[in-house]
Amino acid sequence: MGSLPRRIGGTRIPRCHIRLLGQGASDKPGLFINQDDQVAAPALLIEQLEAPVFLSGISFGGLIALRYAIEHGNRLAGLALMSTFAELSPQLLLLGNALRTGLTLGGTSYLQDLLLPMNLSDAWLGPQLSNLEAVKRQGWLTNDVYALQNLMESFLEFKPLTPQLSAITIPTMIMNGEFDFLTPRTLHETLRLQIPDSPLVIIPRAFHAFTLEKPALTADLLSRFAEDVLSGKWNGNRSVWIAPEQAGDPLIPFPPGHDHLRAIPAHEVPA
Amino acid sequence: MSMFLGPLDATGRVPPRQQTRVAAFLVSCHGAMARQLALALAWPMKAAWHTQLNAQFYRESEIVSLLLRATSWIPDPELLFLLPSWEAAWLPRATEGIADRAQGLTIDIAALGHALHSVIRPAALLPQETSAQDPFALASRKIEFESGRVMQAQIMFLKSADLLPLRNAVTAAVESRHHLQVRKLWEETLTGLGVERCEP
Repeated sequence: MGSLPRRIGGTRIPRCHIRLLGQGASDKPGLFINQDDQVAAPALLIEQLEAPVFLSGISFGGLIALRYAIEHGNRLAGLALMSTFAELSPQLLLLGNALRTGLTLGGTSYLQDLLLPMNLSDAWLGPQLSNLEAVKRQGWLTNDVYALQNLMESFLEFKPLTPQLSAITIPTMIMNGEFDFLTPRTLHETLRLQIPDSPLVIIPRAFHAFTLEKPALTADLLSRFAEDVLSGKWNGNRSVWIAPEQAGDPLIPFPPGHDHLRAIPAHEVPA
Repeated sequence: MSMFLGPLDATGRVPPRQQTRVAAFLVSCHGAMARQLALALAWPMKAAWHTQLNAQFYRESEIVSLLLRATSWIPDPELLFLLPSWEAAWLPRATEGIADRAQGLTIDIAALGHALHSVIRPAALLPQETSAQDPFALASRKIEFESGRVMQAQIMFLKSADLLPLRNAVTAAVESRHHLQVRKLWEETLTGLGVERCEP
């Protein structure tokens, strides 16, 4: 389910990569996967790691990371959440149902055809167009319809985590692509408002799969987060930031007085 | 050992020996499913998922019919030994831990169907450079594509509210059919052709 430790962004921080049950080379239970199973799997691995441990999760993986942090936060030095959610909004519920139907009627290839343009920018897709079949083939070979279906179903029937988010007291960085359609800003705003030591970092010109599209920037942000936490400089404080376009450049505070949930530069409406 | 069938011939087609062995395996298992479904359909439909069985019966029959026509068959003496063991494996057996024998048999048939349509991915055996015009390759892709849909009847039944009290027995039936039997036989068949899947 995981891979050997590597390094994040060329720093001294090793990393282990964990795929969810049912996905890729991870175990694929035949009929049922529930969220407790998904949380138990990384828990086994994390128990083997030396402190300090930082846990990061994207999309479905972010939800599992949230659950792990709620239940075992004392084992973590920090939490990084990317393109994720704590509850199913009506949009996300309906999208999830539609994606599951698409999977069962059209197979993994159809899901890939749908998710690639939904989750990646033209800037990334354009140069890849002639190579897209090869990009898709690897994912198609290692993923099975029944296993992905089990995986999706384990997320469609879950209880919202929002009431428990305040239990996460460790440093937490929330990252959201500027143009994330699948898990838009409002879902990340719930996390920011409920998790005390968390800032929201908006990744410019990025969609849901920004880790794939901007790996250097993502690794840099994760490294900086871990280093700030370990050096005692971290101060989340529910702030809102704009990530740089390039790795290594400074983060910019979101302009005060403007509403970070809007696409147009609208002024905030006082609560 | 390779992850894929081949080496392909000059026109990008899978060698007839490999076609024959793979098709024989698929005809055996999908033929068995078709026979079992034909018997099951003799009873009146009571539950919603029963309606799926009618479509599945015709899909299984179609798979067998398609393979018989699309495969470049050659004589394969080893099939004389392999076929009896395959056919024996598909025979229904009452699921352990379920008092109602008829229900136990139904669960076993559904578990076998789930395993056949989830574990066996013939299109994933095709090298990327396989000819798009090869009838065997097209048939393999169609079988794999249809499996995702056909499997839904089994999933609806095996995950139905009626069976929730029997969840452990149902899961065990699926996993034993899934992992212990169908995967083992399929991998043995592929190993005999010089193919080794990198499954977890």
